[in-house]
Amino acid sequence: MAQLQLKGIRKTYGNAVQETLKGIDINIESGEFLILVGPSGCGKSTLMNSIAGLETVTEGSILIDGRDVTNAEPKDRDIAMVFQSYALYPTMTVRENIAFGLKIRRMPKEEIDAEVERVAKLLQIEPLLDRKPSQLSGGQQQRVAMGRALARRPKLYLFDEPLSNLDAKLRVEMRTEIKRLHQRLGTTIVYVTHDQIEAMTLADRIAVIKDGELLQLGSPKEIYERPSCRYVASFIGSPAMSFIPLTVESDGGNLRASLRSADGEQIYVPLPETLAAYEGKEIHLGIRPEHITQPLAHKAGQEATSSGKFRIEVTEPTGPDVMALIKINDTEVHCRLDPDHTVDPGEPAELMIDLSRAVYFEAGKEARIDI
Amino acid sequence: MASQIEKKLTPSRILIYATLLLACVAYLIPVFIMIITSFKTTGDIRSGNLISFPEVWSFEAWAKAWSTACTGVQCNGVSGFFWNSIKMAVPAVLISTALGAINGYVLSKWRFRGSDIFFSLLLFGCFLPFQVILLPMAATLGKMGLANTTTGLVIVHVVYGVAFTTLFFRNFYVGVPDALIKAARLDGAGFVTIFVRILLPMSVPIIMVCFIWQFTQIWNDFLFGVVFASGDSQPITVGLNNLVNTSTGVKEYNVDMAAAMIAALPTLVVYVLAGKYFIRGLTSGAVKG
Repeated sequence: MAQLQLKGIRKTYGNAVQETLKGIDINIESGEFLILVGPSGCGKSTLMNSIAGLETVTEGSILIDGRDVTNAEPKDRDIAMVFQSYALYPTMTVRENIAFGLKIRRMPKEEIDAEVERVAKLLQIEPLLDRKPSQLSGGQQQRVAMGRALARRPKLYLFDEPLSNLDAKLRVEMRTEIKRLHQRLGTTIVYVTHDQIEAMTLADRIAVIKDGELLQLGSPKEIYERPSCRYVASFIGSPAMSFIPLTVESDGGNLRASLRSADGEQIYVPLPETLAAYEGKEIHLGIRPEHITQPLAHKAGQEATSSGKFRIEVTEPTGPDVMALIKINDTEVHCRLDPDHTVDPGEPAELMIDLSRAVYFEAGKEARIDI
Repeated sequence: MASQIEKKLTPSRILIYATLLLACVAYLIPVFIMIITSFKTTGDIRSGNLISFPEVWSFEAWAKAWSTACTGVQCNGVSGFFWNSIKMAVPAVLISTALGAINGYVLSKWRFRGSDIFFSLLLFGCFLPFQVILLPMAATLGKMGLANTTTGLVIVHVVYGVAFTTLFFRNFYVGVPDALIKAARLDGAGFVTIFVRILLPMSVPIIMVCFIWQFTQIWNDFLFGVVFASGDSQPITVGLNNLVNTSTGVKEYNVDMAAAMIAALPTLVVYVLAGKYFIRGLTSGAVKG
C-alpha cells in the first residue's frame, strides 16, 4: 500500500512532433483504486508503462510514498502489473509463474511455498498449480496473472486492461472479484481500461484522459453527474448523454427554453437562473437517457420536470429498460422507459423530462457551463 | 474436421499423390543405387546390372572406405576426415547457434538506436557468396596463426553462420509478446535472467532449426574445407573428393559409394532426429502463439 504522485508527466516519443502525454498531474492516495479511462491511443497505456518504469518520461516526476522513482528501474519500484494478454511464462507451471518474482528476489524456499499457497487459496487456483498456462482457460489465466502480482505484495498494483480478453459473462465475474480483492486487501491500484462500465463500477476515482491530457479527475459520481466537458459527458454513460440545442428565453423573469418534437409540438422547460448570462443565445442541453422517462407519479409537479408528447422513432428493449429514440429540436435523443410502459415506434408518447440533473454547454465549446 | 474432408479420393487428389510419388522415386533412386552398389563386391559390379541387388551382401567396401582406401598418397580411408568434420561441425554449430540466439534476443527485445540497420547489414551475410571472402579470410586466418587448422575452419563457419542463426532467432523472438519481457522485468529479472529463464526454454523449435540448418551447411561444405584446411585438418567432403579422384588401378565404385554414404549419414541422422521441429520451427514465427 502506497501513495503515488504523478507530477507534470510529459512524454514525447523519439522524433515525434506530437506529445503523447501533455503534463499529467495525479495524486493517488494509499489504498485508492484509480481508473485511467480514455479512447485507444489517448496515452493511458503510455502513462501506465511510465509508472511501471517500462518507459521513460520526457518531463515530470513519479513519486511512490514520497520517494522519487522517475529514473528507477522497474524492479526497484516495487510494482506489480497485470497485463491484458496475461503474459504468463509459457514454459513454467502456474506455481513457477507465481514464484518467479519471489525466487529472483531470493526469498527462502519455505516462504515462497507458503506465499504461493496463500495466493492460490485467495484466488481459488489451488488445483491448477501444477498446470502449464496453455492448459488453462482465459479466466483461469487471468487469475494466475493476478496471483503472480499478489504474491510479491508490492506497494502498487497496475492493471492494464486485464478483462478485455474475457467473454462478457466472465468479465463481469472477474470485475466483482477484483473489487472484492481490493476491498479485502486495501491495496493501491491503478487500472487502465477503455470500458466505461468497468471504470464506473470499480473506481474510487476516475481519470478521463484524451489526447494525452487529463480531462477530468473525480469520483464516478462526479464524473457522471458533473462532467467537466462535452467529451467526458459523452464518453461515460451508455447510451451516451444527448445534447439538445436550445435558445435561452426569458419569460417574465424566469428563464425557459422551448423543446420541439418531431411532430412540431412545442413545450417549454424551465432553466436555472444561473444561465441568465446566456439569454437570447443558443446553448446545448446535456441530458442522460434516464432523465427522459414515461410520466412518473412521484416526480410530477416538481420544479424541474415537464411533460410533453414526443414521437418514438425506435425502441431497443434491453430487459430491465426499453431504450427509445426520439427527436427534440431536430436532434436525436435517447430516453429510458419502463418495459411495462408500452410505446409504439412511430407513435407519439407522453414523456417526462427531468432537468434537475441536466448540464449545459455553450454552443461550439467543450467546457461545461458552471451553474 | 480435416480428416472428414480428406478421406475422399478425388481425381485431383490422385494426381497429387502420383506426382509426389514420382518426385519421391526420382529423389530416392540415386540413393538406392548408391546403397546397393556399396554392398556389392567389385566382381559383382563388373558383371551385374546397375540396379540389381548384390549377389552377396558384402561390408568389405564400407570397411575399406572407412579405414584403408587411398586418399591421395595416404591409405587410411575416410575415418580421419570424418572425425575432422565432427571436430569442426559440432563446435561451429553450437557456437553459431548460441551467438544467433543472443543476437536475435537483443535485436528483437532490447532494441537500440540503429538496431534495425544493424540487422539489415547482418542479413547481407546471408547473400554473400562463399567465393567472395576466400582471399580476405585466408589472409585473416594467416595473420591470426590459424591457417590450416580446425579452429580456423570453426571460426569461418561461425562467422558465416551467425547471419542465418541471427535471422532465425530474431524472427522467432519477434513473435514472442513483449508483455512477457515487461512482466519479467517487473518481477525483477534482468537481461540474462529473462533470456535464460523465459526465452530459452521456449526456443526449442528454433534451436532445432538452427542445429539442422547449420549442421547441414557446415558438414556439406567443400569450398572452405579445401581452401582453409590441409592435411590432417581436412573435413570429410575433401576426403571423399580425394578418395574418388585417386586413381590407382581399377575404379572401385563400391568403395566410392560407401564413402559417399559415410559422408552423407550424419546430416541424414540429424534430420531424422530433429526433423519434426524443422517445419514447425520455420513456420512458427509467422503465427502468433
